[in-house]
Amino acid sequence: MDLSLDSQQEALVAATADWCRDNMPLEQARNRPDTLWSALQAMGWTAMTGPDVALDHATEALVFVELGRHLAPVSLMSGAVAARWTDQPGKVALALFGNAGVRVCDAEGATIALGICDGVIATFRLPPGLVASPALDPTTTLARLAQPSVRTPVDSPLPALHLQLLTAAFAAGCADAARDMASSYAALREQFERPIGWFQAIKHMCADMAVRCAVARAQISFAACALDADAPDAAFHVAAARQVAEQAAMENARANIQVHGGIGMTDEASPHLCLKRAHLLSFIAPARRSVLLGDPA
Amino acid sequence: MDIRFSAEEQKFREECREWLLANVPSERRPLNAADAIAFDKEWQHRLFDAGWAGINWPTAYGGRGLSLVQQVIWLEEYAGAHAPWIGANFVGINHGGPTLILNATEEHKAYHLPRILKGEAIWCQGFSEPGAGSDLAAIRTHARIEGDELIVNGTKIWTSFAHVADWQELVVRTEAGSRRHQGLSWVICDMHAPGIEVRPIRKMSGQVEFAQVFYDDVRIPLANVVGGLGNGWKVAMSTLSFERGTGFIAEQVKLSQEIEELVASARASGAIRDDRIAGELAQMRAEVAALRAMTYRNISDVIRRGQPGPEASVIRLFSAELGQRLERMALLLAGDDILDFRYGDDTLVGEYLRGFAATIAGGTAQIQRDIIAERVLGLPKSR
Ligand SMILES: Cc1cc2nc3c(=O)[nH]c(=O)nc-3n(C[C@H](O)[C@H](O)[C@H](O)COP(=O)(O)OP(=O)(O)OC[C@H]3O[C@@H](n4cnc5c(N)ncnc54)[C@H](O)[C@@H]3O)c2cc1C
Repeated sequence: MDLSLDSQQEALVAATADWCRDNMPLEQARNRPDTLWSALQAMGWTAMTGPDVALDHATEALVFVELGRHLAPVSLMSGAVAARWTDQPGKVALALFGNAGVRVCDAEGATIALGICDGVIATFRLPPGLVASPALDPTTTLARLAQPSVRTPVDSPLPALHLQLLTAAFAAGCADAARDMASSYAALREQFERPIGWFQAIKHMCADMAVRCAVARAQISFAACALDADAPDAAFHVAAARQVAEQAAMENARANIQVHGGIGMTDEASPHLCLKRAHLLSFIAPARRSVLLGDPA
Repeated sequence: MDIRFSAEEQKFREECREWLLANVPSERRPLNAADAIAFDKEWQHRLFDAGWAGINWPTAYGGRGLSLVQQVIWLEEYAGAHAPWIGANFVGINHGGPTLILNATEEHKAYHLPRILKGEAIWCQGFSEPGAGSDLAAIRTHARIEGDELIVNGTKIWTSFAHVADWQELVVRTEAGSRRHQGLSWVICDMHAPGIEVRPIRKMSGQVEFAQVFYDDVRIPLANVVGGLGNGWKVAMSTLSFERGTGFIAEQVKLSQEIEELVASARASGAIRDDRIAGELAQMRAEVAALRAMTYRNISDVIRRGQPGPEASVIRLFSAELGQRLERMALLLAGDDILDFRYGDDTLVGEYLRGFAATIAGGTAQIQRDIIAERVLGLPKSR
């Protein structure tokens, strides 16, 4: 048993963080260049889970936390699931199956979408001429369509767990970003002739943000290892990770706005990006209560 | 990263389980204070005889010399077997002993550690004072040096198990006129020494488990100073790092047991059909899993780096507040039966009332948040 990062994992995490900071800064999350996808592809972020690299879930999750911290495109998740469980190379859009129809995130340049339908991962072909519109989360676009008549389900419960784990990792990254934004602003912004982070009302909000991040990260690693080890309770651990990570993303995003005061709710400043991302993530592969409660199946 | 245990660790787990199954006392820890202490001591001695005390302590001092992972495996099995609460042995086992292992002389280690492991010597912690709680550096209890002795005067409060303790981790001001963190020393104090008076204090649950201690010209050999005269703050911080970092693993592990019992009881009574109860139970079950993951992460890091770091406050705060939420849920599920509580009962109401300590003792929740914000996030110090 060992849940610490080994030196290779530490190096990979640091390299990912560096690359993201230089090429995909959070502050510019809504004006991403059209070339971002090819840059991600060239760097190998889209093929980590494919047959050639086949990174283990534990390491993959660490990388996805870093990607999520920079609000990377959500289709990296659908792409990673497709690369591991189907033979779909290239960009794969992320589908959110609803009662009325399907919303597809990041459909540009994709021919296939992937999402969870009736509890399992399914892919389907995107119709040509799809019109994508802006979404709550400005880092993505949404195209709406009717339930596709032809879906290809993947015959295993594991890919859905994979997507759930990656969503948890993206959420934990989003929570980290909000924590860091809040604590650096709290150390910088002065009122009453001292940094606002001196006041415990602010300081303790930041501390709670750090706790939520640590909780989410630990459970994500545990869940990833459970998947890697084929543990019988992996589904529960992934659901638990998804649950605590969503909470961390949402609560931290909200607290971050409060810590920033007026500027926190402007369109220009970054805090709202985390909030909107947290709301988007809350609809991707949510944890089922029966699984969390360990219901006898 | 790997959550799997090695074959050797699995085998160790089975040995723990087997022994506990055959040896966990069927009678509960007595309610009456004197009997409870006798029970704690006898149980600790049995653990020692069977090789379950000090699993990760050095063999030279009576420990098993195994890893922290094996210690955690033992605690997981211990909780699963509903084995007794550590009781009066808490201080010696969880932070007194570890502080001595890290800072004391060979002579002190050779004398004290085996006695702690055997349950022969009960330890208590004399840090807090009426004027120095959260602000520990405001300690006023002082000692003057006469020849090779310290002469101690002053008072300590909230000292758990002081009324039954043999020894104490005593932090006193040994340099007259010194301020704050300077001039303090961490001393091994004999609780049977002349000049010590212990006045027990009753908790709102009815238990008498802590006390105020008065020192009137108490003589302590200078040789009992641990880690050097005037270095008390540093040694005290290592004590607190054990208390916060690894001292509560047993309680963290116990929450895994408790949440399963709560879910089962909510199912049995039908309370789980209440959407809010089901939602909160699901949330807490996820959080308890995450707490276990954090505990594993913490011990993996401690094994790699030695001592626990300030991140320990993150786990301590999270588990304390989560534990209190579990206690409230247990109360909610119990309904009006809780009204029948009688002072001193060791029931879930007793646990609930005593459970307020989790966010007060060993550093309040507010102080833990300060530590996290200042030492983990680097925010400015408020004090
Ligand atoms: C069950 C129990 C067992 C204990 N056992 C021991 C023991 O064995 N040995 C021992 O030495 N001590 C022991 N203690 C004492 C414990 O460490 C102290 O109670 C604790 O450190 C708080 O100190 P205090 O009680 O003086 O409260 P105070 O420090 O007076 O705090 C009162 C309130 O003010 C808040 N507060 C104080 N300072 C600040 C600040 N800077 N910022 C924000 N809020 C602040 C606190 O969080 C708290 O809510 C025990 C306590 C309990 C409850």
